Amino acid sequence: MSSAELPRKEANVLRGHEGAVLAARFNADGNYCLSCGKDRTIRLWNPHRGLHIKTYKSHGREVRDVHVTPDNSKLCSCGGDRQIFYWDVATGRVIRKFRGHDGEVNAVKFNEYSSVVVSAGYDQSLRAWDCRSHSTEPIQIIDSFSDSVMSVCLTKTEIIGGSVDGTVRTFDIRIGREVADDLGQPVNCISMSNDGNCILASCLDSKLRLLDR
Amino acid sequence: MDSDEEDYVFYGTPIEREEEVTSRKKKAVAEASGQLRTLPSWKQEVRDEEGRRRFHGAFTGGYSAGYFNTVGSKEGWTPQTFVSSRKNRAEVKQQSIFSFLDEDEKSELAGQSLGTSSQFDTFGFTAAEIARGQAEKEQQKRPSAIPGPVPDEIVLPATESIGVKLLLKMGWRRGRSIKDSHANSVYDVKREARKAFLAFSSDDAKAQAADSESIQGDLENYIEQPASDEVISSQGTCVYGLTPKQDLHGLGFDPYKNAPEFRERKRSRISDNRDPEYGKALSVKNSLFGFKSGKVAPGFGIGALEELDAEDEDVFASDYDFEETYVQEIDEPSTKSMVDNKRKLIKNERGVLLGFRLASNADYQPERFDPPLVPKDFVPCHKFAGPLETDHKVPDAGPPEVSPPEDNNLKLLIDGVATLVARCGKLFEDISREKNQSNPLFSFLLGGNGHDYYVRKLWEARQKRADQKKHQLDGKASPSLPKLTAESRGKILGERPLERSSNDANPSVASSDSIHLQYNLSDTFTKPASFSELPEVVKPFKEDPAKQERFERFLKEKYQGGLRTTQFSGAVNLSEAARARERLDFEAAAEAIEKGTRGKETKTSTQHIAEFLTTGGMRFTSGGLEKAEDTHADISKEMYPKRGEYQWHPSPMLCKRFDLIDPYMGKPPPAPRMRSKIDTLIFTPDSVTAKNVEETTADNRDSFAIPQIDAQGISKDVSDKEIEVEVAVENVERPVDLYKAIFSDDSDEEEDAIPIVNKVEYPEKKVEAANTALNRLMAGDFLESLGKELGLELPPDPPYSTNKARPSASQKVVNENPGNDNVLHVEAKPPLTTNVSSECPINPAVLHDKEMAQDGRQKKNEPIDGDSAKSRVAEIVSSKNNNDQVNPEKIHQEDRKVKTRRRSSSTTSSSEDERSRRLSRRHRHRSSDSDSDSSSDHRHRSRSRGRRKESSREKSRSSRKHSKHHGHRSRVSPIRSHYGSEKEGLESKREKHRRRS
Repeated sequence: MSSAELPRKEANVLRGHEGAVLAARFNADGNYCLSCGKDRTIRLWNPHRGLHIKTYKSHGREVRDVHVTPDNSKLCSCGGDRQIFYWDVATGRVIRKFRGHDGEVNAVKFNEYSSVVVSAGYDQSLRAWDCRSHSTEPIQIIDSFSDSVMSVCLTKTEIIGGSVDGTVRTFDIRIGREVADDLGQPVNCISMSNDGNCILASCLDSKLRLLDR
Repeated sequence: MDSDEEDYVFYGTPIEREEEVTSRKKKAVAEASGQLRTLPSWKQEVRDEEGRRRFHGAFTGGYSAGYFNTVGSKEGWTPQTFVSSRKNRAEVKQQSIFSFLDEDEKSELAGQSLGTSSQFDTFGFTAAEIARGQAEKEQQKRPSAIPGPVPDEIVLPATESIGVKLLLKMGWRRGRSIKDSHANSVYDVKREARKAFLAFSSDDAKAQAADSESIQGDLENYIEQPASDEVISSQGTCVYGLTPKQDLHGLGFDPYKNAPEFRERKRSRISDNRDPEYGKALSVKNSLFGFKSGKVAPGFGIGALEELDAEDEDVFASDYDFEETYVQEIDEPSTKSMVDNKRKLIKNERGVLLGFRLASNADYQPERFDPPLVPKDFVPCHKFAGPLETDHKVPDAGPPEVSPPEDNNLKLLIDGVATLVARCGKLFEDISREKNQSNPLFSFLLGGNGHDYYVRKLWEARQKRADQKKHQLDGKASPSLPKLTAESRGKILGERPLERSSNDANPSVASSDSIHLQYNLSDTFTKPASFSELPEVVKPFKEDPAKQERFERFLKEKYQGGLRTTQFSGAVNLSEAARARERLDFEAAAEAIEKGTRGKETKTSTQHIAEFLTTGGMRFTSGGLEKAEDTHADISKEMYPKRGEYQWHPSPMLCKRFDLIDPYMGKPPPAPRMRSKIDTLIFTPDSVTAKNVEETTADNRDSFAIPQIDAQGISKDVSDKEIEVEVAVENVERPVDLYKAIFSDDSDEEEDAIPIVNKVEYPEKKVEAANTALNRLMAGDFLESLGKELGLELPPDPPYSTNKARPSASQKVVNENPGNDNVLHVEAKPPLTTNVSSECPINPAVLHDKEMAQDGRQKKNEPIDGDSAKSRVAEIVSSKNNNDQVNPEKIHQEDRKVKTRRRSSSTTSSSEDERSRRLSRRHRHRSSDSDSDSSSDHRHRSRSRGRRKESSREKSRSSRKHSKHHGHRSRVSPIRSHYGSEKEGLESKREKHRRRS
């Protein structure tokens, strides 16, 4: 990609939040985006036309992360109220609330089939929640982290979490193994490359670390 | 009768039959008269005067529910629209005693007062009387001697008499004669009708003067437009006006009798008083609007378009009124305030008092001053005469080098002034020149002696400054600067680091960076260039040329900034300690040099200069702590990033939802989390060497991961390390053997309890086996404690039942030879005792205590470390005392446990003890079936599952725990093998039973 192709101009400003925006996520095909912030709302936008489509209000505290299913039918969000909210996009209603984290929930993701929500919490745990059944208990608690889990990534077969304890842990469901990569620095956010071969981890020592997997 | 009623139509209410009513009344009277009094109280009934029952049962409405057992009001329920009373809430409700009285009380009260009813008050006398009385009452309420004259003048207590009302209704209006002017016109008839209608419609309204007048006005407006031909009225009736007496003079006394002009004056003054500026307008207004009180705040005028309302009334001005109207009235001309005087002046223009005329020159004339003259060339914007020149670019080519003047004092002075001027700009030079014009010492400023030298010096100083600035900019641009973390900033500022950060387990790559950063920053704070020339002369380490060289390098690095290596390249051959010492030496020397030069400068220059130059010293000397961190940093650099692999059991549901096959399908629920040591131990069968390495690295990590609080920490550690490692080898070896011993030899015994365990070395199976072993060990623990509690003598352990299965030579030695074991024990003990004795000396009391605790009576919740260590020591000693009961291996285990605890330096808690205690506690709860269920697999597995969370939370603990468990197992298994085999069948039966229930 040459530098000429890089976006240089601000295409749109999405105004509407009444507080700090803590996360902004595109949906799967990139036509819409979701933002959430300290004003306790989640907002759905059409960023290409600069339109504010919908506001989702139900959180009692700041909303830290939001994720939408690939079919754009459901949302999940999490935040300072220690709950994961499972929303219906069209009606804007909360379908389910998952309680169980002992601290703020930092990140949340759907799996590929939108059947599981995996959340990363300040309580040093990753929790997997079942969207299919009506149980509000987590179907899996991963608490091998020794500090707040800041970020979570999901592949078809793996759960990857980055934590302040400096580790990026990959939990492979297929073979039941956990691979812990200790980076020595608190990991604030992890993100996976599109081909799924690398993880980019942003650390608190002002460095980005690219990990092969 | 009934059939008749069908045919007739009734109008009105039928008259009640006399008899019915009377009979009821009679009955009531009779009852009241005492017939009922004979009845017991619970049979008496309360009835009203009509003889109706007043009380009903709860289900028939209770006491007169609603309005006589109907809906809530006399009218019944009528649909209504809701009217909010919110706005009315704030209004003051007119409350009278009548609003609190019942109807009968009201009627009582009404009987007492006597008065003409308003119907017959033909001339309105009574109403007027009442109104007047009201007014008088109000008058009395006012401040004593001061009758408020103005409102009373304007607002008369008046009511309309009925005659006036009638007249008004007939079309008469005030100020007109009563005559029949145009009765015949058709128009008039219409008008009359309309008027009457209007009047009646407004009849309900109170007959207040103002009200009616306003209505009247409306009517007039309405009517008079068409009836323009109306004759202008003649004053038919004179309005009888009451002028209340409002002064303190005697009756009939007129103070203005002989001086009518003063009366005039007073009147005008009163109106002025109301509003000085708008006096005239206001008087007109007064007559127009007739507002209630004429008190208007003085000084607050009203615009022509504004209306005068209540806000404009002056509520506080009664005193002022008094003063104006009375005191000044009597001796008017003499006392005049300034304000009055002025007002008089203004007034005089309007009209001079009768018989007076304006004086040509007043006695009093206010002093006036002319404004100062503004110079013609004055510019209102200030410009600084000498701009700050620090920012200016210094010309590259300076003036030629001049030899300094002979006078040393003068030279120093010139130097100082030059530096200062370079710092503060040309302005400083100008000022000092002006100040010291007469001073011959400063003649160089004016072009006298040494001027050339001064110019040169000034240029130099500026050059220097420019360099410095550039340097600072460079420093900012350097990569290490921008990442000022909170920690490093705190260090720079000399803050005491936080507990966590100072003890940080992972002194990272950045921590070493931060040290650089600190130096760099402190360098930017000093003035590197200014010192660079100086220290060359000073050679504090002349006797040692190598050292001197290193010192120079140190200085260079110190004052020049930029990145540098952590170590001095020159001092490679030196030991760490020597290097540190030398470094401290260097620091001290550098500081001394710096101080010396600074001292010189301060001596030479004036005090100003001294102040300027003392800024930014090298205050951030490195301490020993950083030194230590350096070494850690080296280690940690190599260590990151590192990868570890662990087993992880995804829940079946998770697998299902992810559409994957459960890797542990059909296998028992996951074992408690395996941690580094045990993992590697299990998965690498011959891991002695690898394990060893692991152990040491782990040790290393521990040594800096955990704060070394005790003073003996590091040095002892180093000395002990070799021993420890040696011991560790044995220890590490053993568990594997243990497992072999357990799972290969005793398998026939345990087959029924753990059907999964086979001899095949399948890794998962091994984990499973470990798990069960762990559970078993808990069970064993429990058994032990149980036995002790019940006072049962445990069957003496078959001492070496599993011994033959242990191939390890060292272990055998330990086991076979108690003396050797003791030796080993002692060998490993010193660190232990040093560690523990600081907290508690081992004494018999402790021992005793411990034994009691072992009896199961100890109920402390969480053993703190000191406690556990204590207990451990006690255990060891006690076991030594009665050696025949406890097998030596146990001692060894204990010993090892303590050692590992010591190594991990007191962060681990004795999970094992805790567990046994818990078990025993649990046991107490269900003592009925106490002796059997302990070894049941299921319960403990579920237990362990519950604890998994806890165990994995504390990594450091869990990593140790496993090794402990192995040891434990070995202790327990003999008991079990002996004890459990007898009761196996019973146990399993009971367990089953329990599970079912």
